[in-house]
Amino acid sequence: MMGIKKGRSGAARAIALLVLLLIIAGCSGNSGNNGNEDGGETPAEGQVTLVIGAYSVVKDAFAELLPEFKQKWLEETGQTVVFQESYEASGTQARAIAGGFEADVAVLAMEGDIDKVEDAGFITKNWRSPNDGMITESIVVLGTRPGNPLGISDWEDLAADGVKVLYPNPKTSGGAQWDINAIYGAGLKKSEDLNGEKSPEYAKQFLKSIHHNVESLDKSGRASMAAFEYGVGDVIVTYENELLARIAKGIPYDIVIPKSTIRIQNPAAVVDKNVDKHGTRDVAEAFVAFLHSPEAQRKFVEYGFRAVNEEVAKETADRYVVPQELFDISYLGGWQHVRETLYSKRGVWYQVLADL
Amino acid sequence: MLYFVCLIVLPICGIYVQSLSEGWSAFWESIAEPLAWKAVMLTIKLAVIATLINMALGTMIGWVLIRYRFPGRTILNSLVDLPFALPTAVGGLLILLLLGPGSLVGGLAQAIGIQIVFHEPAIVVAMVFVTFPFVIRAIQPLLEELDKSEEEAAYTLGASKAKTFFQVILPTMAPGIASGAMLAFSRGLAEFGAVVLVAGNIPGKTLVASVFIFGEIESNNPQGAAAVSVLLLTLSFLILWIVSMIQSRRSGQ
Repeated sequence: MMGIKKGRSGAARAIALLVLLLIIAGCSGNSGNNGNEDGGETPAEGQVTLVIGAYSVVKDAFAELLPEFKQKWLEETGQTVVFQESYEASGTQARAIAGGFEADVAVLAMEGDIDKVEDAGFITKNWRSPNDGMITESIVVLGTRPGNPLGISDWEDLAADGVKVLYPNPKTSGGAQWDINAIYGAGLKKSEDLNGEKSPEYAKQFLKSIHHNVESLDKSGRASMAAFEYGVGDVIVTYENELLARIAKGIPYDIVIPKSTIRIQNPAAVVDKNVDKHGTRDVAEAFVAFLHSPEAQRKFVEYGFRAVNEEVAKETADRYVVPQELFDISYLGGWQHVRETLYSKRGVWYQVLADL
Repeated sequence: MLYFVCLIVLPICGIYVQSLSEGWSAFWESIAEPLAWKAVMLTIKLAVIATLINMALGTMIGWVLIRYRFPGRTILNSLVDLPFALPTAVGGLLILLLLGPGSLVGGLAQAIGIQIVFHEPAIVVAMVFVTFPFVIRAIQPLLEELDKSEEEAAYTLGASKAKTFFQVILPTMAPGIASGAMLAFSRGLAEFGAVVLVAGNIPGKTLVASVFIFGEIESNNPQGAAAVSVLLLTLSFLILWIVSMIQSRRSGQ
């Protein structure tokens, strides 16, 4: 009996300690935020903290862009920007911000993820400007072994016997939905070429024929690339910017651009609720504007993205092949429609998996 | 008792409640869903294979470690438990490195048309790896208890080596093998870290239950995840219950 009692009070003490720790942590967090607000209200001097919640792919580019912005902001206002950066898979980051992670600026892989933050009530103003709120573009391409030994040239080749294909699972990686959308959309394009109208059934069969050859369904795009570089598979379906970044690091890939593929668009938005709380609206808006500026756009191009800024896009046009039949998400009916038809509970993706 | 209730019973009850949060029909729908069903069946099938392998290997290794004295025996003996200490993802990575397409074994297997990594064999290897210590650790005390004179008596009475093994030694080890195997099987059912790296994780083909559950959580379907968890939990509970029955019968003797 004594033993039990003792154990119980011990547990109670442990819980009390835990609660205390949490309170302390909460307090220090708050005081940090107050510090930021003070900085925001005295624009002439001092520091301002900008919390950035981004998807992992932009990490390398941001390593160069953030110091540039810091310098620029210091010259313009005399304020020093202190960045707090968080890089996660896009869907995870969106859930974190919607769940209370106090990011001032959200940089995510797709509009649907910004929608999640918006739906949770954190973005209240229109973020779709300029360039529809998109800071970078890319396309979905095929990566093959050096020299393209299997002679892959378009989507149909992925369905051939013995070709091993890698793409990530769109259920665990939101970014992977671009890859599946590209294949599905290419199927729609093809049915349009053949019969003059879009056939979802044809597109589903098209996706299924490629899915049949999938060797591994990894949980993220990065995991797929790691598997490919490790020696698994013959072809990887991924973003052009990801492959260009890997090639720049000396890893051999051949990029094959299919005849029809999807334009990837990556958004950035100011998280209104958090900037108002932190008093960081000015600097957050300036940062997003900076990401749209020609100088930042040029940096993004260096990291393999396609520019959204027209001027920079023209300058760098010779670097990039524009696929014959490039389409964007609106060709598939917009994100809302795509989520409802492709990725819903009994949607096209499920039917492909369950072989219905 | 309080710890036990807080740490074990409450979370498990929580999973049962969660799985039924949308009623029985939603629960059955989640279970009867072909992809979920296939994942569970695949997991059970592969865990059975892994358990059988472990029963054979574990018995032999346990036997050698107890009966023979050779240099390095104590080191080997302590190595047995390492799969428990190692994060299972590291185990998965090792399997990838050793059996993957770039490796010697993987290359040979590929040459004769067997796919290891990203197919069922790799999942079995991963399960065998993480459940390796169970059988060995379960039979070791029994072997130590075994009176050497019984074995010697069998020999002097003219029994062959095989006969001695099957009629004297094996019956002593049997409860240990059985309980070790049951533990290994439950652990194999739930294995995630190693399997997620080496399986292709294609739903309906190479997706095991634990990874299926992870996918359901990631795609915001906690009810579906909980329903499959409940199936695994119930199965594991039955197995562990049988194990404790066996053990109590043994200690009763």
